[in-house]
Amino acid sequence: MKKVVTAAALAAVLAVLATAAWGSTKGSNRSATAATADSALVKCGKTRSIGLLAPFTGPAASIGINQVHWANFYKSTYNRTHKKKIRFVNEDTMLGSANGTAEAVKGAQAVGSNARVLGVVGPAGSNEVKATTGALKGAGLGWVSGSATNTTITLDGTRTGFFFRTVPPDSSQSKSVAAYITGTLKIKRVYIIDDQEAYSTGLADEVQTLLRAKGVTVGRDGVSQQQSDFSSIINKIPRNTQLVYLPWQLPPKGQAFGRQMKSLGRSGTKLMGSDGLFDPLFAGLGNNVYDSFFPLNPADKRVAAFKRIHHATELFGAPSYVAAQVVTGAIDRACKNGTASRAEVRAQIKRTRIAAKASLLGLPVAFDRHGDMIKKPFGIYHSVKGVFVRVA
Amino acid sequence: MNWSLFFGELVSGLTLGSIYALIALGYTMVYGILKLLNFAHGDVYMVGAFIGFFILQWLGGPLTPSVTPWLAVAIMFAVAMLGCGALGVGIERFAYRPLRDAPRIAPLISALGVSIFLQNSALLLWGPQFRDYDTFDLVGVKSYHIGQNFFISNIQILTISVSVGLTIVLALLVSRTRTGKAMRATSFDRDAAEMMGISIDRVISFTFFLGSALAAAGGIMFGLVFGQIFSLMGFTAGLKGFTAAVVGGIGSIPGAVLGGFLIGLTEAFATGYLPGGSVYANLYVFALLIVMFLIRPTGLLGSPVIQKV
Repeated sequence: MKKVVTAAALAAVLAVLATAAWGSTKGSNRSATAATADSALVKCGKTRSIGLLAPFTGPAASIGINQVHWANFYKSTYNRTHKKKIRFVNEDTMLGSANGTAEAVKGAQAVGSNARVLGVVGPAGSNEVKATTGALKGAGLGWVSGSATNTTITLDGTRTGFFFRTVPPDSSQSKSVAAYITGTLKIKRVYIIDDQEAYSTGLADEVQTLLRAKGVTVGRDGVSQQQSDFSSIINKIPRNTQLVYLPWQLPPKGQAFGRQMKSLGRSGTKLMGSDGLFDPLFAGLGNNVYDSFFPLNPADKRVAAFKRIHHATELFGAPSYVAAQVVTGAIDRACKNGTASRAEVRAQIKRTRIAAKASLLGLPVAFDRHGDMIKKPFGIYHSVKGVFVRVA
Repeated sequence: MNWSLFFGELVSGLTLGSIYALIALGYTMVYGILKLLNFAHGDVYMVGAFIGFFILQWLGGPLTPSVTPWLAVAIMFAVAMLGCGALGVGIERFAYRPLRDAPRIAPLISALGVSIFLQNSALLLWGPQFRDYDTFDLVGVKSYHIGQNFFISNIQILTISVSVGLTIVLALLVSRTRTGKAMRATSFDRDAAEMMGISIDRVISFTFFLGSALAAAGGIMFGLVFGQIFSLMGFTAGLKGFTAAVVGGIGSIPGAVLGGFLIGLTEAFATGYLPGGSVYANLYVFALLIVMFLIRPTGLLGSPVIQKV
């Protein structure tokens, strides 16, 4: 028995030493691998591969699928009119699932190790952007998100030159919202309810700070994104509240909240949503509904074509169309001589220039040194007969 | 004292509690008979909500129902309860019955497997998007104004009434009918019941049918009260229903109902009154579960099981 125990202990020690030795070798190889991935030339060929990191399933799939539809809409439009084709390497990030950002990291590692992938569209959430930075940056990939709006993820310098986004940051949205609430609506009592996601809490914090600075009385609460029963929290909102601000991502939830407000006799209170709620479902709640959104032109023929194909009204995913446009354009330019490296594609993303006319967003797309769009205005919209009309 | 807040939370709690109670009944009945935690039960509730939704659409939708609104609601309940009842029987037949004599961990894993299977099937068939019951557009749905600031809708009244009604019917069925007697006998001693000529398979199938039908009723109530359903809604609701069954004393029918109302009221009043309540309502709910285990491990109305050693 003693011999067996000694042998087992020796085996364990050997295993630990071997693992440590393998780990250190792997560590020294990692930087070499990263450098290789960054500069390795890929033959572009007839079909170019782009990673698509999105929540195909999981709690946020309802908005994720909208983004996927918009990205695929760009792909099909592009492939119809170009000899060279693009294809997406899909990775499901399961945003909002119980295991946090683990799936996003796995997906990022998968696209990073796929030598044919030259650039990435996504991921959707700001936390996912933070979590996947190691894997994507390590693989030398440039990535463009159509929905990660947390202000700090471009400003903290961690992913400068690698990460770009086709949505304005929360700071831009919060300024427009606070200015309209205090300046135009002359509101003095606001209740903010976030949905506990990074996007929502970040935006809610910024609006709250700006409103308080202007002397507005602000109440604050939060709900889970999975919640459908809002009656308890509605009961809690003080009766003299003039406006409830909902920086949420899911239009059906905004609609449910508004309807429950009405059924509880609170139809007189104004509602204001963020870009995540810019949707006919939310606008349909009535004339006391406001929203903020980038100046996308709902009358654009591409929007009409998208709605016809996907039978969907949500415009939330439209920046993912632009993200796909940015990455594809960068790959096209980098591939002019038939080969491209990930570093070249990143450099080309940085140099993106899409004119306002060609941009679905209604504004020119070009990036500043942090990876944010240079022009990032937010419009304020008012629901008139169930349709959002721009008022500021 | 803010009475409008108090009554508002009371009605919210009772409405939520009614739904949890119906889910808890399914958990408690199956546990009572098979000593099995049927973790797929929450997903049967989700399927019930979807069947109700599709029936409402089939009947012309909430704005233009082809029959009177209340008949539409009755048809939704009937079809969803029958459909989910059949689903429950199918789950028992193919996922649990072959494992009846296996170690207890096997059917538990099987239950988790069925849960994930149902969730992903729903995702595949019906997509990840929210489906809207549009109850607020349903002709005949209105809110009543009581006092200055207190509102209650007839759908909330219907939910609480149907839940109480179904519980009474279930209690009568279990205590006054021959089938109920067979269920009680099977729960007490399965082998002895079999020796007395009771068809155990039939009793277990019937129990699954009843539990799943009640879950379907809960799913429709959820859709009617809160307006929206989605394919992952079963997980949290199932967890709450399970908690309600445990708090009430798993295996006890009145206990499941009591536990359901207690969980619903805790959630509503925590949201209304406690700091960070709306965000941490689940924290308070599960804290209640832990406290209950510490004070009364068998639950409110559960009785200790004496095991022959």
